[in-house]
Amino acid sequence: MELIQLLLNGLSLGAVYALFALGYTLVFSVLGVINFSHGAVFTLGAYFTYLLIGGQAGANGLLAGLQLPVALPFALALPLAGLASALVALLIERVAFRPLRQRGSDSLLALISSLGAGVILVNLIQLLMGAESYAIPIGTLGSLPAALRFAGAQVRTVQVLLLAISVLLLLLLSVWLEGTRSGKALQAVSEDPVTAQLLGIDSDGMIRLAFGISGFLAGVSGGLVGLSVSIAGPYFGISYGLKALGVLVLGGLGSVPGAMLGGLIIGLAEAFVPAEWSGWKDAVAYGFLFLILVLRPQGLLGRPLGTKV
Amino acid sequence: MTAAPRLRSRAERHANARFRLGRLNRLALGLALLGPALSLGGCGGPDPAQQAVNLSQGVPIGAVLALSGNANVYGQDQNTGLRLALAELNGQGGINGKPLALKIEDSGSDEPGANAAFSLQINRGVLALIGPTLSQQAFSADPIAQRRGVPVVAPSNTATGIPEIGPFISRVSAQSSVIAPLSIARALELHPQIRRAAVFYAQDDAYSTAETTIFQKALTDKGLKPVTVQRTQLNDQDFQTQITAALQQKPDLVVLSLQAVDGGNMIRQLRELGYKGAIVVGNGMNTPNIYPICQKYCEGILIAQAYSPELQSPANATFLRRYRASQGGAIPPQLTAQAWTALQVVAEALQRLDRRQPLQQSSVAQARKALMAEILSGTYQTPLGEIGFTPSGEVIQKDFFVAQVRMAADGKSGRFALLP
Repeated sequence: MELIQLLLNGLSLGAVYALFALGYTLVFSVLGVINFSHGAVFTLGAYFTYLLIGGQAGANGLLAGLQLPVALPFALALPLAGLASALVALLIERVAFRPLRQRGSDSLLALISSLGAGVILVNLIQLLMGAESYAIPIGTLGSLPAALRFAGAQVRTVQVLLLAISVLLLLLLSVWLEGTRSGKALQAVSEDPVTAQLLGIDSDGMIRLAFGISGFLAGVSGGLVGLSVSIAGPYFGISYGLKALGVLVLGGLGSVPGAMLGGLIIGLAEAFVPAEWSGWKDAVAYGFLFLILVLRPQGLLGRPLGTKV
Repeated sequence: MTAAPRLRSRAERHANARFRLGRLNRLALGLALLGPALSLGGCGGPDPAQQAVNLSQGVPIGAVLALSGNANVYGQDQNTGLRLALAELNGQGGINGKPLALKIEDSGSDEPGANAAFSLQINRGVLALIGPTLSQQAFSADPIAQRRGVPVVAPSNTATGIPEIGPFISRVSAQSSVIAPLSIARALELHPQIRRAAVFYAQDDAYSTAETTIFQKALTDKGLKPVTVQRTQLNDQDFQTQITAALQQKPDLVVLSLQAVDGGNMIRQLRELGYKGAIVVGNGMNTPNIYPICQKYCEGILIAQAYSPELQSPANATFLRRYRASQGGAIPPQLTAQAWTALQVVAEALQRLDRRQPLQQSSVAQARKALMAEILSGTYQTPLGEIGFTPSGEVIQKDFFVAQVRMAADGKSGRFALLP
């Protein structure tokens, strides 16, 4: 029973990390740069979800007391929040990435500009919604029980939902990448954008698509995590972002299956930390990451790349 | 096709990585060299502490509160208390006719933020500082004030060892060792069948670690050695792993030393995972801002408090009147009362000092030193009741209370109902 409990704990944690890391991966694969504004888009997704289900803005922001005239069911609010987050991600691509890319700037600059975009977004959230915490009301999932039992192990229903939606999105993304023309076009761009463009693939369009999907995934995962553990203020996405960065590196930079595997491994590593060491779970997870990288610097599923001479 | 030459292949990007790392190293080295140079540059000019107290804008007082970040739930309560106290004190004539000029700075919820805000306020020439919000921040920022000779009155630091940082550090928030055991005793009176206690605390937070030690000792003194002690980290929100491990020990009392947002999530998840026993929480959850987080699951949690809205005293009546008028009749939380008290203490000490030795005739450094002595020597009639200080700056308070959270039927609002 204890093993099943630990597996459930680890999988539900890991699925969120994987979903988050996938957003990083998609952008990294096409631009070779980590989009540091991803955590802010994740946070935004949680706030969008909160407002769309009828949540009211607190007392400390410019939008104090704001409540949308409609209160959507969570099942509708979540994808809509994902779409709104995708639009924000596209805006970030337009403002923080494209101008630098068009000037042929070093990708390190794009990394810094993405960090700047993230900081601006987080501060904007704080300005508009205040620094207070928000929680999606208990009972949002209707008549579903608060927790479920599997073979003597117990897990919160929201965690099961989170795991199921994460796995579904991961599978859809994999199928799209491997089984569709546009998915393969994205892979081609990630492999070599110049050649892809010569072959008639719209590299810029593919980059925008990667940002859009990445923003959607961030928004949906933000909404799901907000449902599970409340929205602890505008900085809510930062710790998840850091963890997902570890996941990204562990799985192999730019590898979609690697992001999934890395997420699950980090989640399981945290869950399997003994109770008396529970406060050290981050140290254990990152220690594990360090060990893997020493043994396999390109990450678990990353490809070793030759050095140019 | 215009974009093609500007996009680079994965191999090229990889090849550039070493070059970029090299540049990063040079950037880091540059910053490392620039830092001391900027510090040295900052050493020029007259020392603001040696100049005369500048009363042109009023009597300068600073506050450093966590208005953003995870601890903002406390900072917002404190901000309300300081602003109400400022209006009341200035309405009564301020410091012998001179208005109090209170500047509030946001420390975020971490130590670097508190350090920066303390330094900023001290450089402005404030005569005293109120804050920071968290004990963890105080251990980092208070030594700055101590070195610069600036009186600090902490409105909410409860960890052991705060006044011991130095003679310029005091607090109006009673330390955990005084308050925390009261709620354990009360829980055992209400639920005499309790036999198995589970303890949770954030191991990387000074307040949590100090308070859990006191909770665990109080439990052991009552013959209830904790059956499990689960550690979390500050800002953790998902506690499935710790809770399921603790529930396997079948506890009938859970004791939490966590900050408000973390603790609110912990309570919600405990109840969702089927825990039905009593819950005692520490001072970190002493704010109505937990209600929106644990919602209906907040019902029944026990907490010891250093403030009661029901305390009958003129000072509390004034505070209640001001608070209710500004907050639509709501009941004030402890943190707001303590923040009001901190400013009241500073103001009354300044009034006595100014009568004896007018502030404008002193340098900032002299006024700060004399103010600290004045703060410690006084007795104050505050919303918390009568308080004074030990020579080391520890608060001496008479009245403490145990409350139980009662949530409204909609699960959105609640109150700390005092237990008789």
